Amino acid sequence: MSEFIRTNGLKKIYHVGDQRVEALKGVDLEIAQGDFVVFMGHSGSGKTTLVSTIGGLTRPTEGTVLIEGKNIWKLNDSQLSNFRNRKIGFMFQSFSLLPTLNVLNNVVMPAIFNSNSRKKDTDALKSKAISLLTDLDMKSKVNSFPSELSGGEQRRVAIARALINDPEIILADEPTGELDIRTEKEVIEICCQINNVYKKTLIVVSHSLTWLEKAKTTIVMKDGFIYKDLADPVQAIMNGVCK
Amino acid sequence: MKILKLSILELMRRPKKNMLIASSIVIAVALLTSLSIVSNSANLAIMEIIAKTGHTLTVRPAASSSGANAGGKGQEYKLTTSEVVLGSYIPEAAVPEIMKNYDEAIKAGWEKKGGLVSNPGVPGVVLEPATWAPRLFEKAEVNGQEVIVTGIELRKEYFVRFWWNLTSGQWPADTDIKDVNTNISTQYKLDSHGNVVIDKTSYGVDSSGRIIAEEEKKKDKVAPVKPILKGWDDAYLGGAYAKARGLKLGDRLAINKTEFTVRGILEETNSADDYMVFIPLSTAQSLFRKEGLISLVSVRAMCPNCPVGDAMVELNKNVTGITAVSQLDVAGVQFDFFNMLYKFLLAVVVSTIAVGIFSIFNIVTGSLYARIREIGMLKAIGASRSQLFRIFIYEHFILGLAAGIIGYLLGLGMAYILNTLLDIGAVIRISTDFLPRALILGVVCSLVAIIYPAYKLSKLKITETFRTQWES
Repeated sequence: MSEFIRTNGLKKIYHVGDQRVEALKGVDLEIAQGDFVVFMGHSGSGKTTLVSTIGGLTRPTEGTVLIEGKNIWKLNDSQLSNFRNRKIGFMFQSFSLLPTLNVLNNVVMPAIFNSNSRKKDTDALKSKAISLLTDLDMKSKVNSFPSELSGGEQRRVAIARALINDPEIILADEPTGELDIRTEKEVIEICCQINNVYKKTLIVVSHSLTWLEKAKTTIVMKDGFIYKDLADPVQAIMNGVCK
Repeated sequence: MKILKLSILELMRRPKKNMLIASSIVIAVALLTSLSIVSNSANLAIMEIIAKTGHTLTVRPAASSSGANAGGKGQEYKLTTSEVVLGSYIPEAAVPEIMKNYDEAIKAGWEKKGGLVSNPGVPGVVLEPATWAPRLFEKAEVNGQEVIVTGIELRKEYFVRFWWNLTSGQWPADTDIKDVNTNISTQYKLDSHGNVVIDKTSYGVDSSGRIIAEEEKKKDKVAPVKPILKGWDDAYLGGAYAKARGLKLGDRLAINKTEFTVRGILEETNSADDYMVFIPLSTAQSLFRKEGLISLVSVRAMCPNCPVGDAMVELNKNVTGITAVSQLDVAGVQFDFFNMLYKFLLAVVVSTIAVGIFSIFNIVTGSLYARIREIGMLKAIGASRSQLFRIFIYEHFILGLAAGIIGYLLGLGMAYILNTLLDIGAVIRISTDFLPRALILGVVCSLVAIIYPAYKLSKLKITETFRTQWES
């Protein structure tokens, strides 16, 4: 697999009141195209900060994020928004669907922020959304509103929305948080399909060990550092041996 | 789906909050609309009077008073000194001097302005002299009720008050009126001391001061020096007076025991004229023993933009015993009053708007921060700062527009209430001219309140937004 995402000396320092919190302490990371990466670690280890820095959501204090060789933090707001819109599909811990829009409109919503989208694309976009929802077994709910859906169904709609612009990277922050075991397994299966069938680079942040069975790469984080290629990442997290 | 549709749907999602925001704007717009309509209606009413009457000058005795109610008991119409003068007089013989001064002042004023001076000697230029009409006001008993009776020279009055129309009856033939005026106008002159000298022998007046008709002359065997003038006992009634008293054409009126016949009823003009009884000036002078005297002279300028103000100044300076008042000055005083009232109320409205915007700002800030996680999600899926800003701006543009329309409609109703409460008494004229202003105000109020919080939110870091609970 070729190098697709690269971070160099990535640092992020937060100031909370008088306190200085170093969330990332110089992360050097390479992720290949088509990889399925799971970031694990205790709360406050820097997982979400690292992933949101890669996704163009959090500006690093120091270091670079190169995607296909381009430093995304050199882009202006408009270019960065366009980058997020076209290159990355986000899945959040909470379902984050707009309650005023039905399922179909929630899925096609990223397209309204796509500066290159044209009117004639609308029909094609809707067909694509229906096709994605069909793949996710949500065809019958196309016209339903979020309040009429279960937690698992809402998560599937969020997945369809993440895929609508055909991004190359899917960033999922705790995508199975708040879900029961059965629904969690369903969502993980779907994510595997996204990686295998749709050939997307999948980056997941989770506390759930279930992901480890499916992930191609597991990265453990502790105190703002990353630990790759550990023989037993679970044991490493449990025992806190990542030193 | 477009950003605009997203904004509309978001707007509809929180009807109660948005109605609360809109209510402040509605009140502000309604207040300003009603105030503008009332002020405009009042000013238009004044303008119309000026447009209708032309630029008129009223010449009245220097020490004159009024305060009477026209139309008699039960008909309230407060008279102003430019409408009626009681108990003070100008000698009729002073009119030529007044008009001479007037004409000279107008010509001088035109020359000063560098304008054209009407010159009968130049071909194609027609001299349009000012026209004037004298009036004599007296309280008299008309059919047993005290009413202000006005003596007029019909022909002259008709020229000055060219808007007069009869709802019934007809004007006397020109020749009749001319005869009356010609004959009467020869009866007065000033003596060497400047007093009015009246040749009573030219009137058909009996020993008790009554004017005598031809039949009565024979009966009373009092021979007048001159033949009795045709139409001496004609009476013309103001429309409101005739309506209130149920008088119609051909009815007989007893004014101080002298019989008159109703020859015409005037259309209502929303002036004191509506409440008056008009009889020929010569008749009035004889009837009230005011021979050679008049109460005021109305001078109608016959040129557009005549320097009547200059004439007024000259008359007041050069002719003793009179006060000249320009209609425009009277209107100006009213304009000033309405403008002062308008400015005061405008200050109240502006304060209301400022308080309104502040409260909207607070509600909007709270409302937007409740959507902070949703905003973060929109940014994450690719909404740029400007696109987010547009969502908020569209929402509040629509909200302001809707509030502007509702406020305008409410303002129309409030205009009637304000007109009554402030006792302005203008005829309210509903005009769509204020609609754009209402819409602009509504939108501006709404946008002013949203711009800062929207700007702050659109600049918010996405990760900060995820620390807040999602609003469902």
